[in-house]
Amino acid sequence: MTTPSQSTLPMHGLPLNVNGVMKISAAVLALSLILTFYGLLTQGHGAFNTHSYGITWGLPAAAYVYLVLTSTGLTFVASLAMLFRFNEFYPVVKRCIWLAIATLVAGFATLALEIGHPFRMLWALPSGLQYLSPMFWMGVFYTVYLLFLLWKFARIHAGDWTSLQSYAVGLASFVSVVVAHATLGMVFGMMAMRPVWYDGMLPIYFLVTAGLSGIAFAILFTYLAYGFNREKMPEALRGLLSGSAFSGVFAAMIGITLLMVILRTITGLWSNLDGLQVYSHIVRSPLFHAELWLGLVLPFVLMLSPTLRRKPSIQITSSVLVIVSMFIGRYEFMISGQMMPLFKGSWIQGVIEYTPSLTEWMLTLVGISLVFVLYTVGERLLKLAEHPDAK
Amino acid sequence: MNNIPTGQQAIRILKRTIFTRRRFLQLSGLAVSLLAMGGSLRKLTGFFALRAARAAQPMAAAEDETVITKSVCHQCPGRCGIDVYTTNGRVHAIYGSIDHPLSAGKLCPKGYLGPYILYDPDRFKGPMKRTNPNKGRNEDPKFVSITWDEALDTIAARLQNLRDKGESHRFALLYGRGWGASDAGLQKPFGLLYGSPNVAIGHSSMCADGSKKAKQATDGNYSYSAYDYNNTNYLLIFGAGFLEAFRPYTTNMVAWGHLRTKSPRTQVTVVDVHLNTTGAAADRALLIKPGTDGALALAIAHVMLTEGLWDKDFVGDFEDSVNRFRATGRPVDPATFQERWVHGLVEWWNNEVKERSPAWASEITTIPEKEIIAVAREFGTTRPAIALLERGPTAHSNGTYNAMAIHALNALSGSLFAQGGLFYQMGPSYGKLPVQYEDYMDDYAKSEERKRHPRVDKAGTEDWPMASTMMQEVAKNHLAGQPYKLDTAMFYLTNPTWTSPETGDWEEALKDIFVIDTSPFPGETAMMADIIVPDHTYLERLQDTPTYPFQGWPMAGLRQPAVKPLYDTKAYGDVLIEIGKRMKGPMGEYYRALENTENVLRHLARGFEQDPGDNGVNGFETWKEKGVWYKRPYHWRQDRGKFYEWDGTGYNTLMTPEEVKEKLLKTPSGKFEFKSASLEEHAAYISRKLGIPAERVGFPQWVVPHHPGGGDLHLVTPKVALHAEGRGANLPHVISLMQPTLGGNKTVYLEINPMTAQKRRIRNNEKVRIKSSVGTIEAYARYYHGVRPDTVVLPMEHGHWAMGRWARNRLPGHSGEVTVNVSDPISGLASYYTTTVTVEPA
Amino acid sequence: MAKWGMVIDLEKCTGCQACSTACAMENNRLPGEAWQDVVFYTEGEYPSVQLKWFPRPCMHCENPSCVDVCPVRATYKTEDGMVLVDWDRCIGCRYCMIACPYGVRFYSDEKPLVEPDIKKVFKGDRKYSWSPPWKMPQSKEDWKHGVGIQPDGVVSKCTFCYQRISKAPEGTPDLEPNDPALREFTPACVVACPPTARYFGDLDNPQSHVSELIAQKRGVRLLDHLGNKPQVYYLTGEAGAVPSTRGGREA
Repeated sequence: MTTPSQSTLPMHGLPLNVNGVMKISAAVLALSLILTFYGLLTQGHGAFNTHSYGITWGLPAAAYVYLVLTSTGLTFVASLAMLFRFNEFYPVVKRCIWLAIATLVAGFATLALEIGHPFRMLWALPSGLQYLSPMFWMGVFYTVYLLFLLWKFARIHAGDWTSLQSYAVGLASFVSVVVAHATLGMVFGMMAMRPVWYDGMLPIYFLVTAGLSGIAFAILFTYLAYGFNREKMPEALRGLLSGSAFSGVFAAMIGITLLMVILRTITGLWSNLDGLQVYSHIVRSPLFHAELWLGLVLPFVLMLSPTLRRKPSIQITSSVLVIVSMFIGRYEFMISGQMMPLFKGSWIQGVIEYTPSLTEWMLTLVGISLVFVLYTVGERLLKLAEHPDAK
Repeated sequence: MNNIPTGQQAIRILKRTIFTRRRFLQLSGLAVSLLAMGGSLRKLTGFFALRAARAAQPMAAAEDETVITKSVCHQCPGRCGIDVYTTNGRVHAIYGSIDHPLSAGKLCPKGYLGPYILYDPDRFKGPMKRTNPNKGRNEDPKFVSITWDEALDTIAARLQNLRDKGESHRFALLYGRGWGASDAGLQKPFGLLYGSPNVAIGHSSMCADGSKKAKQATDGNYSYSAYDYNNTNYLLIFGAGFLEAFRPYTTNMVAWGHLRTKSPRTQVTVVDVHLNTTGAAADRALLIKPGTDGALALAIAHVMLTEGLWDKDFVGDFEDSVNRFRATGRPVDPATFQERWVHGLVEWWNNEVKERSPAWASEITTIPEKEIIAVAREFGTTRPAIALLERGPTAHSNGTYNAMAIHALNALSGSLFAQGGLFYQMGPSYGKLPVQYEDYMDDYAKSEERKRHPRVDKAGTEDWPMASTMMQEVAKNHLAGQPYKLDTAMFYLTNPTWTSPETGDWEEALKDIFVIDTSPFPGETAMMADIIVPDHTYLERLQDTPTYPFQGWPMAGLRQPAVKPLYDTKAYGDVLIEIGKRMKGPMGEYYRALENTENVLRHLARGFEQDPGDNGVNGFETWKEKGVWYKRPYHWRQDRGKFYEWDGTGYNTLMTPEEVKEKLLKTPSGKFEFKSASLEEHAAYISRKLGIPAERVGFPQWVVPHHPGGGDLHLVTPKVALHAEGRGANLPHVISLMQPTLGGNKTVYLEINPMTAQKRRIRNNEKVRIKSSVGTIEAYARYYHGVRPDTVVLPMEHGHWAMGRWARNRLPGHSGEVTVNVSDPISGLASYYTTTVTVEPA
Repeated sequence: MAKWGMVIDLEKCTGCQACSTACAMENNRLPGEAWQDVVFYTEGEYPSVQLKWFPRPCMHCENPSCVDVCPVRATYKTEDGMVLVDWDRCIGCRYCMIACPYGVRFYSDEKPLVEPDIKKVFKGDRKYSWSPPWKMPQSKEDWKHGVGIQPDGVVSKCTFCYQRISKAPEGTPDLEPNDPALREFTPACVVACPPTARYFGDLDNPQSHVSELIAQKRGVRLLDHLGNKPQVYYLTGEAGAVPSTRGGREA
């Protein structure tokens, strides 16, 4: 077993597959952007399958929530070392912060193309100051969060990992993201007229699931940085991934998420509250079972096994499964809150049917490919493998 | 005239200044608001936006000149008065006229859609001729624009040529919803002067002749009834779609609001084959087997007679007041009963009603016996009570008898001509036309040779001796060359190529007929046309509209242009006059003397000089100003078995039986006939057609309906509330609201009972094929528990293959394509709801 | 300042949709953009089946959740009780549509309900999403209050016909459509309703007819448990009902 020098990898000799991924994702981004704009310019939001009588917030909105919550989760992972001094996580901190920025920016981009007048928001939000609106606060806190993230990244990129200022900015970004994602949770959780969402603890649910997708992203992208070859990783990183800390946290988060998903579903199925009928519909959908069995139970079992969970292939597989599962979860969450018509009868009979349009898929792909593009650019230009020990 | 309106009176032009309330947020106001808002988080809501909104209000809004034109709606025959709002030459709103008795300030859902019809982008924009000699569904007519002169000259030359050859009968003029003297009223003189029995052939045999015929047979009036809803306490409605399709629809609904909240509240029972909004809004809905309404009515009569619930004042009574009508069904000696205003009651009992017990009717109709008895008792014990029928019960082979049985209930309850009952419509006091057509008949027109030719639809011939018109037979007869082939056909407000049963016959027939269409819309008949002479749409048209039967007293609306015609179109009445002017001889002279429709209207309005309306209309100018002439009250009333005539102050003049016979009960007996003399005149024909013994044909009776089509499910095809007789077909707004009961906003769903569907493995919302012996169409089926398991209901909407971009090829297919072309032999009414079909997954 | 509200008598309502079409005409709505809809539903099985309906305008709630969620205060509550949208502020995020329990808000920029798209048949210039020949006079248009043909990418909703009622004389207790002096100020659906099932007036005035009706005929509000406190009341009488559920377990 050869141990590559810690200092060589981040500085030069990037594995080809980061380049390859960059090329592919740039191509995908370009294509999806073209198709998205083609749809939007020819049909406006008529290119979406969302409708006033049906699903108001569709796949792109789910993608937004998915991406920003992933950003949240990545910040949590980074904070394990940055704030809570679990120093073994230092090797992934910088990459995670950059990824948090990438997912957040990608999320914002998706949202911007999803709403009617994104540029108007720039003046209407500050001039309106609608403090009663969770979405207003979401905008505020995510903006603050983005600024702190960028600041923090700038600090550590400048090599300042541990100064009081750096620590304070890290703390601020952690606090702002907790608040931001809490308000995002409240965007849904406060909607008493949408019983599937209505839940004072919904921000906690978002917190946990955000953490899980953050970890999964961190694992996947770390492997990606090294061509899915753990042998190429620097010692500390390799130690982190082959040790029990990362996979243990991963397993714990999957377990908690699994529990929450199951409990939410049981509550939904059991309760007579009008609007929760949608759960009986959800449990009949193959997507739900893919999310539950393949995306959560299987990785959970894998991560529980002391031998399997150390294997790179298992870790990679599990992270991919969880990433997909979380996406399904966000989509299902988004749609299920709207699937029961507010009133039975005309013009919609039964449950609202919704299939995302090509443009909606393309917009979602814009968000996802943008994450990869930003990440690979960062990987090439911003020394994402750096960590204090490397200095 | 720029007067500010002071009321509903005298609005012709309303200059309206759109004023703005400019309110500036003052510092003091701000302070007060802030104080008032206090500490509550919620109450601060909206403060910022309010300020923004206020400040941004236009500082000085432009003044608009809004003109309100009094006119008459044209989306059903109801003739509601409308206020058309036009600003800067654009129509942007229509509301019901407050000062119009029919609309009373309201309109049905269709009324508000008028501007969309005016601005229909698929309208014809001027006269055109066909350049593609091939005709058919898939043939583009390749119309090219021509001048009005060319169009009118072409038509006139063609008609003149036919006349010169002695074949003027081979010209037919087919019309639908005629309005008054200035359009449909011009047709009869045209036919007589020209010499064709086929000018004009009306569409009423494809509409509602059954109820008219039943009323003629029993009370001598070949007419729809007028109703005094506001004073009735019981409505027993058979078919009709009182809250969807029955006319005048707006007025029905205005009345509904009153009669469902007045004291005592009017009880309503609805008999239909599916639960429609009328049935749902009523106190009781009876879902009856199609075509069996007569059986139910007879059973109600049975209960009314056996329980002594008939109106003794109107009907009469046994001499000793002892009821001999027994549920055991024994015959009664006619001599023991003294009839007042009815004829043949005991014979009717002996020959028919005694057998028609609720138990018997329950078998026929599938309505539980106890429901029948309950309805009969309610109806029989409530006064005034109206038994109302239209369409459904009459759209079967036994239609006239069904309708007679129902109308007989009105006689039994004494509601004929009574307050809160039903009667007939009076006509308006029109003046004479400037010239009389009788003075312009030339030798050709008067010749015996002209009288030799029967109508092409054979109405009045031995095939259809009792029918007044048989439009649905025209295509069939032309194809068969019996009695002859048509050469030229002109269409006004009718589109039988789409609306008739077995539409295929029309598509075939019109291929070798020179077709002239006057519709402004690109309908199916227009696609078969050789020449298009488009009418104005109704918001561009000047036209009289004497009322549809309403509350009896006379009324005549005036439809007036709200805007100048948008395109190069011409009023149909003027097209007829212009063709007439181009004919040789006295006919041309007549039309030159008639001048144009406006001249006709001016002469009609002269009648109001002698008989001014209640709203002060006393001539053409005031008619235009108010948009309607009317004169209350209805002149006659039956009260407790006595008939009175209005003497100017009250119903004070007692009428003699002769006067009643002349003016009201126009039967040979001068009474309501439970044994119809007019049917007995045709005893042999009826006996042959319906298999009834000749001596029984006069009685309202149960006749087993004949259901062609070869299927196992009844197909019933009603109109929905938004059905504007084709004019709404190309309006996306209409399509989006078409069938709210089942959520049909792109298509209209086939209503199918879930049991029926599951037996045929038809899933909810699945596309199905509806098949009969004459055709197949496709539709989406939707489960509905409100339809009988033996029946499917498909609203007669959509399925156009022309009519504009929104109408074309919209599923479901058109019900006419699977409806067998059979008619009630007595009334001639097309039996639209009698076909049976099979339904299967497509 | 009046608190405008509406009373709908379901005993009288015939489900004819005249309110819907009059609203579409008065306010230049798109097909399917039914600011004023009539919702039909069925219960029971043949032959004991019920067909029911209720008209559904915007409830103009006292506590409008749509106003609270709007991040840019594009939707707001006026002093006289209307909930309106300022089309110059709206960013088209559609959160209000999510937060409205009554489903009475519409996004203008979506697939046409009925093809072909009428917006493409009567194209607007860049400012308007479409421009039908029957659109209201320019002087009535008022984007600050969500009146007129809207631009693309904003949310629209029932304004209680703000362009009409905002001109009503101060202190009017009820806007009675068949009173010629008040007719032009009465909401289109109230003017239109053939059986006179709709009443419009000042809920803050205990002497108004609407207040009387609510008191005497036991007015109820739709989904009252959600606490939005609609300013639209229903009289259910013997014939009418507002739905008790959204569709039940069978859905």
